[in-house]
Amino acid sequence: MSARATENMPCPTCGQPVDVWDGFCEACGKELAPPVVSDGQPGHVPQCPVCAADPDAPQAAITADGYCESCGRKVPTSRDHVEIDLGPLAGVSDRGQRHARNEDAMALAASGTPDGQVAVAVVCDGVSTSPRPDEASLAAAQEAVRVLLAAARFGDDLAQASVAAVRAAADKLTGVAGPDGAPACTYASALVERGGVTVCSLGDSRVYWVADAGSACLTRDDSLAAELVASGVLAEKDAMASPQAHVITQWLGADFPDPQPRVSRFTPPGPGVILVCTDGLWNYVPEAADLALLALPTALTSPLDAAAALVKVANDAGGRDNITVILVPFPAPGAMTAEDLPRRRPS
Amino acid sequence: MSQPAFTVDVDHNQYLHDGARDVSAIATVTSDGTATSAAAGAGPDSAEIIIIDCSGSMDVPHTKITQARTATAAAVDVVRDGVWFAVIAGTSFAKPVYPANGTMALASPQTRAEAKRAVSGLRAGGGTAIGKWLQLARQILATCPASLRHAILLTDGRNQHETPEELAGAISACEGHFSCDCRGVGTDWEVSELRKVSAALLGTVDIVPDPAGLTADFESMMQNAMSKQVADVALRVWTPQQAEVRFVKQVAPTVEDLTSRRSMTSAQVGDYPTGAWGPGESRDYHVGIRVAPGGVGQEMLAARISLVVTTPAGAQVLGQGLVRAIWTDDEQLSTKINARVAHYTGQAELASVIQEGLEARKHGDEDTATARLGRAVALAKQSGNEDTARLLAKVVDVIDEATGTVRLKKKVADEDEMALDTRSTKTVRVRKEHG
Repeated sequence: MSARATENMPCPTCGQPVDVWDGFCEACGKELAPPVVSDGQPGHVPQCPVCAADPDAPQAAITADGYCESCGRKVPTSRDHVEIDLGPLAGVSDRGQRHARNEDAMALAASGTPDGQVAVAVVCDGVSTSPRPDEASLAAAQEAVRVLLAAARFGDDLAQASVAAVRAAADKLTGVAGPDGAPACTYASALVERGGVTVCSLGDSRVYWVADAGSACLTRDDSLAAELVASGVLAEKDAMASPQAHVITQWLGADFPDPQPRVSRFTPPGPGVILVCTDGLWNYVPEAADLALLALPTALTSPLDAAAALVKVANDAGGRDNITVILVPFPAPGAMTAEDLPRRRPS
Repeated sequence: MSQPAFTVDVDHNQYLHDGARDVSAIATVTSDGTATSAAAGAGPDSAEIIIIDCSGSMDVPHTKITQARTATAAAVDVVRDGVWFAVIAGTSFAKPVYPANGTMALASPQTRAEAKRAVSGLRAGGGTAIGKWLQLARQILATCPASLRHAILLTDGRNQHETPEELAGAISACEGHFSCDCRGVGTDWEVSELRKVSAALLGTVDIVPDPAGLTADFESMMQNAMSKQVADVALRVWTPQQAEVRFVKQVAPTVEDLTSRRSMTSAQVGDYPTGAWGPGESRDYHVGIRVAPGGVGQEMLAARISLVVTTPAGAQVLGQGLVRAIWTDDEQLSTKINARVAHYTGQAELASVIQEGLEARKHGDEDTATARLGRAVALAKQSGNEDTARLLAKVVDVIDEATGTVRLKKKVADEDEMALDTRSTKTVRVRKEHG
């Protein structure tokens, strides 16, 4: 199954064909809501965030190798810390404390559709033992969100679209494999609409339902630990403590030709939040109930603030891995339309 | 003339534990091996002055003045065609010997012959006022346009005919105008006095106990001077806001503390003089920086070390290296001691304990002398500095090398003590570890 061509996706306002990445409809001129990915601008941030926050500090240039000419601190590359706020959903992706770069990626989209508003959340975690894992995660998230958003706008079956998005992302990674090997990443997506949530995952990135009335992890890891637990060999705590716990058994990449993503439908019993994350977060807070304590109630109304707070929890606990969290409140707060969605939060 | 490139190779443990502030690095600075000027070395941009002590004591024994004349003539023969040169005689005053009018001559077969003729007429008689000699050298050097300016100074006695303040004033007036290698012949001169001159004027100091050794020494000093190509090179250290440069030391081939020689270019940039460099020359510098503490996972540029020449066109950077600091909670990383930092820390201590030990011995404080020189024996052993160990063994009886247990020798030849003192700053070099 191949992904549908997206250049003739209908404009939600006038129905004329538009491209998924377009910012405006060429026909009616209405602003569209293209997906936003955590690619960041190439290079480093133009200003030292520490000196910028200090009114007494002299403001200086950033050197070519990425140090603040005043305080000497290594400044983040723009991908080291990315915050994306689309209103109905928001995400934060962070380098963490230990890794030299952010190999996680995320893609977010929100759009009006024939059936009402849909929020699309994708996270990918580059496999650090593969070459160019940062490139892999970004390419996969970018490709998957394209397929998912187009399917949502057309009113396609979202479970099928989820599988199609994984296949399209896998094809993309096959294309970027080179003599250095096959770039690889994990995958988790959630499509949140009025009627329910379509969840899809591959590898050990997760989707949680977080609510006062009861929380749960909606995905099952493709990892040795999860398989040991599933087959009854080990209890979950023992399995996670084993050195092999993080070995994943499925991934996206040219060296894994036929990935079998797990797709499921979830109907929220009441208000809550869909949380899509990489293991940089759940390694520190694996239990859905604990995530609920940390995220609620802020996440229901200010998903960006709640996502930033969760990333801080992981960083404060050691930040051993890159951390990426997307939060999608359910039902969508307010009655915003695609046209008046805020763009990326200015940094 | 295009300037040679320098490489700056920084070796240090870049990992700091949470809250740590001190970064210590060895920077190996090497000028590239290719000669840049057509003359492959000294040319019209070089100037040499030889300052010969002609005080009365140079006649006792008479071989001192005769050997000094021969050595000066030999050094004049080493001066390449086209290099500016002059000879000064020093007593309680300073007097130009060649050219007699107090200017500099361009070296040629004819001027060298004239200079040697003038030198052969030097007679001993008078006092010693080294500051006046240096001042005259500075005046004479100012009459020529050369930028590589170097002097050789020979004395045999103490600076009796001027006050220490007069000498200090003269030294500071000459700083940055020329470099000066100092030699003491015999054993009636003061090591600490000449070291003040050589340290400030970025040169060497050594003893030539027997006047017969002067010729070979003068020739080799002049050959070394002729190899220099680029003058007035500064080690430029950039540090972040709120950082402090704790020290900057040359640690190889000799220990020279440059910390107080900083000239500020801006609040975050200081220049330290390194003098002149020849092609392929390599020196090690130990730089200590105290930075504002960072959090785990943070990376900071603790210093940028570059080599800079100041030309009429402005400052030109000839090469640079980066000193990074990364905070980590991994103790395996943060507790690792860099072998070269440790080695040179030991070598710098070796130099200072020798000087302190000899000073204590001079004042009859045998306990301190024994403790310091014992420590020196242990340090020399640890770092494989065999030359210094040999010199130490002439001053103390070594009972246990490893622990530094020693006894002061009852009788020590002056020249052995002075040789240990002057050579205490010589270090043994260690290469960067690989892997």
